[in-house]
Amino acid sequence: MDFGKKSNSNSLLIPIIAGGIFIVLGGLAIGALTPSVFPDQASAESEQVDTLFRFLLVIGGAIFLLVQGLLLYSVLTFGKRDDDEEDGPTIHGNTTLELVWTAIPAVIVLILVIYSYQVWVDIREPNENETTITAVGARYAWTFGYEDAQGRTVADSQDVIRGALPDLHTYAGQHVVMSMQTQDVIHAFWIPEMRVKQDLLPGRTTEIRFTPIVPENGWDYTDEASGTQYNRYRVVCTELCGSGHGNMWANVYVHESEEAYLEILEREVFDPIINPPADPVIRGRQVIQNYPCSGCHVLSDVGWAGVTGPVLNGVGDRAATRVAGQTAEEYLYRSLHYPNEYLVPGYGALMPQFQPGDPAGANYMPTNDFYAIVSYLCTQTGSGESNCDLDNLRNVIDADNPDNPVTFGAGADATDVEATAEATAEMETTSEAEMTPEAEVTPAAEDTPEPDANIGVGS
Amino acid sequence: MATLSYPYGGAQAKPAKRPALAEYFRWSIDHKIIGVQYMVTSLAFFVVAGALAMMIRWELLTPELDLMENGSNYNTLFTMHGTMMIFLWIVPVFAGFGNYLVPLMLGAKDMAFPWLNALAFWMIPPAGLLMLSGYFVGPAEAGWTSYPPLSSVYSPDGQTLWILSLHLLGLSSILGGINFIVTIKNMRPEGMGYFQMPLFVWAILATSIIVVMATPFLAGALTLLLLDRVAGTAFFDIEAGGDVLLWQNVFWFYSHPAVYIMVLPGMGILSEVLSVHSRKPVFGYRMIALSSMAIALIGFTVWAHHMFTSLNPSLRIPFMITSMIIAVPTGIKIFSWLGTIWLGKIRFTGAMLFGLGFLSMFVIGGITGVMLAAIPVDIHLHDTYFVVSHFHFVLFGGSVFAIYAGFYHWWPKITGRMMDERLARIHFALTYIGFLGTFFPMHMLGMLGMPRRVAVYDPQFQDMNTIVSVFGFVLGISTFIFLYNLVASTVSGKVAGSNPWRALTLEWMTSSPPPAYNFIGDPIPYEDPYGYGTEASKAYLDAMDGRFAPPSPPKAKPESGAPTTPMEPQPAGD
Repeated sequence: MDFGKKSNSNSLLIPIIAGGIFIVLGGLAIGALTPSVFPDQASAESEQVDTLFRFLLVIGGAIFLLVQGLLLYSVLTFGKRDDDEEDGPTIHGNTTLELVWTAIPAVIVLILVIYSYQVWVDIREPNENETTITAVGARYAWTFGYEDAQGRTVADSQDVIRGALPDLHTYAGQHVVMSMQTQDVIHAFWIPEMRVKQDLLPGRTTEIRFTPIVPENGWDYTDEASGTQYNRYRVVCTELCGSGHGNMWANVYVHESEEAYLEILEREVFDPIINPPADPVIRGRQVIQNYPCSGCHVLSDVGWAGVTGPVLNGVGDRAATRVAGQTAEEYLYRSLHYPNEYLVPGYGALMPQFQPGDPAGANYMPTNDFYAIVSYLCTQTGSGESNCDLDNLRNVIDADNPDNPVTFGAGADATDVEATAEATAEMETTSEAEMTPEAEVTPAAEDTPEPDANIGVGS
Repeated sequence: MATLSYPYGGAQAKPAKRPALAEYFRWSIDHKIIGVQYMVTSLAFFVVAGALAMMIRWELLTPELDLMENGSNYNTLFTMHGTMMIFLWIVPVFAGFGNYLVPLMLGAKDMAFPWLNALAFWMIPPAGLLMLSGYFVGPAEAGWTSYPPLSSVYSPDGQTLWILSLHLLGLSSILGGINFIVTIKNMRPEGMGYFQMPLFVWAILATSIIVVMATPFLAGALTLLLLDRVAGTAFFDIEAGGDVLLWQNVFWFYSHPAVYIMVLPGMGILSEVLSVHSRKPVFGYRMIALSSMAIALIGFTVWAHHMFTSLNPSLRIPFMITSMIIAVPTGIKIFSWLGTIWLGKIRFTGAMLFGLGFLSMFVIGGITGVMLAAIPVDIHLHDTYFVVSHFHFVLFGGSVFAIYAGFYHWWPKITGRMMDERLARIHFALTYIGFLGTFFPMHMLGMLGMPRRVAVYDPQFQDMNTIVSVFGFVLGISTFIFLYNLVASTVSGKVAGSNPWRALTLEWMTSSPPPAYNFIGDPIPYEDPYGYGTEASKAYLDAMDGRFAPPSPPKAKPESGAPTTPMEPQPAGD
């Protein structure tokens, strides 16, 4: 029997046809498994990508069965008989056969290239009515920035209001363009259910497009307050970014309608900006959660449990003792604006440096937020009382940023603000019982440098 | 010994004299000593890097951090695991096989530059120690790909040691590569043209061409990173006008061809093993040889498929096309190997089992490779466990299976003693099952949403990770059966004889182990290194056996075809 399929064509024809049918059906069967190895299809792109994958899997599955089948057949059939010490037949090759198994893969590859190219061009195509959402990656958290859809502007300027959240909100049918920047190393934005991934590169703004849809199995969650439905996924970082890489994920909420989406944004983002609370402590507690601090720090009051940075519980008590000659508010402000100036022993100089100057920058933090966040951190004390002089804090910030003075609460009666602050402080002492264990742990946690001395902040 | 048994032991009554043990621990310019030095050194690093893999799998039994104290420590695990497996195991162990076998297969007395050869080897132990000494200052933790700025300003001093170590290893590779090219070009025996060379030699030639052309790019990338870390330059510093993608481009311009540096020698081993142990010529010799060259060449044009999520989107298309094209020469090889065993008389020896295992596993890595080359699919799968699975199917299912096959095939030549075939079968069964159970489910993990290089993960993936880890431990344990077999056979294995597999390539036409300067007289190669099944080849083998038979009891088949002149023993010393 010759290896070539030409000879004895009658006796070979049947097994070849049978094998061919088996391989084709097997490939189709393997390809049919596609949905079970992929997450839900939650974007328009995911349908195209999965169809391409299924095509690849059918062809790959057929090749798999062909090779493993021939291999298994050979192993079962061509094993040496006990009494047979002869060599096999001296066959050096078969030009026809070799041409065939060069040409067929070449044709398959050509088809795959053309098909993949079409899908790739298609999913990159910009849509009309796109909404741009910004994403900032910082070790080890995400921050998503939204622009007011109603076009309301910041007081005294033409700039449309922008605000940030640690979660990504969108709705089914929205044509989303993610515009992404990183504050430190390379990160990658991936929502498995959307089949989209793009690296965030230092010094560049990268983009990716997707359109969320309702997956086949419908909505998973219902918002109790509004009665609207939504799905929740994760956006995860897929480019190694350091010790907390595995923790760097955020929730993605796909709402059922544009109204539900806008309502959430109004409540969480724009209303606090348009009607800021008069108390800087309350405002500070709001805005600090819009920055990526949770990726590293522990702050039980807002539920942060970062694993790689110093603990912020009780930081108000320690702030005044850190640097000789600096008051608590001065120290906290400088730690936020110039994190490398003073480092808690055992921690490296790696916290992003927030800047008030450039609203388009990835590290932008307006002076009002500095003021509010420091005011809030000052209340992180064992007693719940603020340890800071907020007037002095305002002076410190203004002196350091003459071009961007603090405007928070300007015109309001100073005593009113202080009264509110005290009221809040009292309110917050209710949570003291929960905080106490943490507060006891804190000094030890901070004084003993973690071996992972990677992430640090002069807290 | 009365009838032919397989392996065909005993044409040589006693194992030939081995070099003194002390020879292996000092500077030697004998390519065989150097070959063994490479192999044993890299085996030691294989064990260390394997232990790191076991720790990775232990950590991943739960979705939380438990074994490791923090994320950084976990990151050092896979960084050191990957770097050591690549640069201190697969690359040098193949250099070891090349060193030991290429001069023997060419009938030469040594490599072209014996002193340079020793120099190349002796860079490896210090480089390995340099890498490991990172543990005293905080080892590298930016992954084996070490993308800046994570690896430039955000990494501990171990990263600098990592760079210096890779610099040394790269230089060692280049020196070895030059040596192989010159040796193969100039030291072939009379009557052996390029297309009469064993396919292992072809594979080493293709590999060496890649090494010499690509490794300088690694050196370039490493130098830039080193300067950024210690000399205040700003190649990767955005603030000062640098660019992080520069590293990715230059690094992958080396590191993609490096995949072929790690696979082509394994393919060479496979061609030898499959042909010898199924007693049939290699099917489509010329296509296999030329496809190695095609892979080497096309391999230089595909690097940016590692950057499908970072490269400018409009630049990605050409790399998808070239990456898919490489499937064609790879397919040729796989089908040619299937053609080789087809209608053969397969001996299921340890070497053959791992050869067949290679075919079975490598094809999966090839298929997933084509899937990953399709940009839209790669967008989803990039940097997930799917990729981890893919490259382990290539580098473990391919390269390491081939290395095992190579050890079972040639260790008897090196030590003069047979390895235990029963242990080999157990080793194969455990390795095959352990490997498949470890790496196949990883495809699913990646597709469902688990990124690579994470110590903590979504709890929904715990069940599958537990399965993966358990099979991973089986795989880890199986390695020790192999190591035991290597050592035990060296001490007390059956005498191998000069040519236990009745192979036709020249390394078998001398005693086991070969004497200093390899051959007594100049060996005459058989016209076709894979000409099994012909009367002439049998006559050649019998005549060669006769040369190493004990002198007094003559062999029991004096009448088998008159050996012609080429097979006649030649006087010693030319």
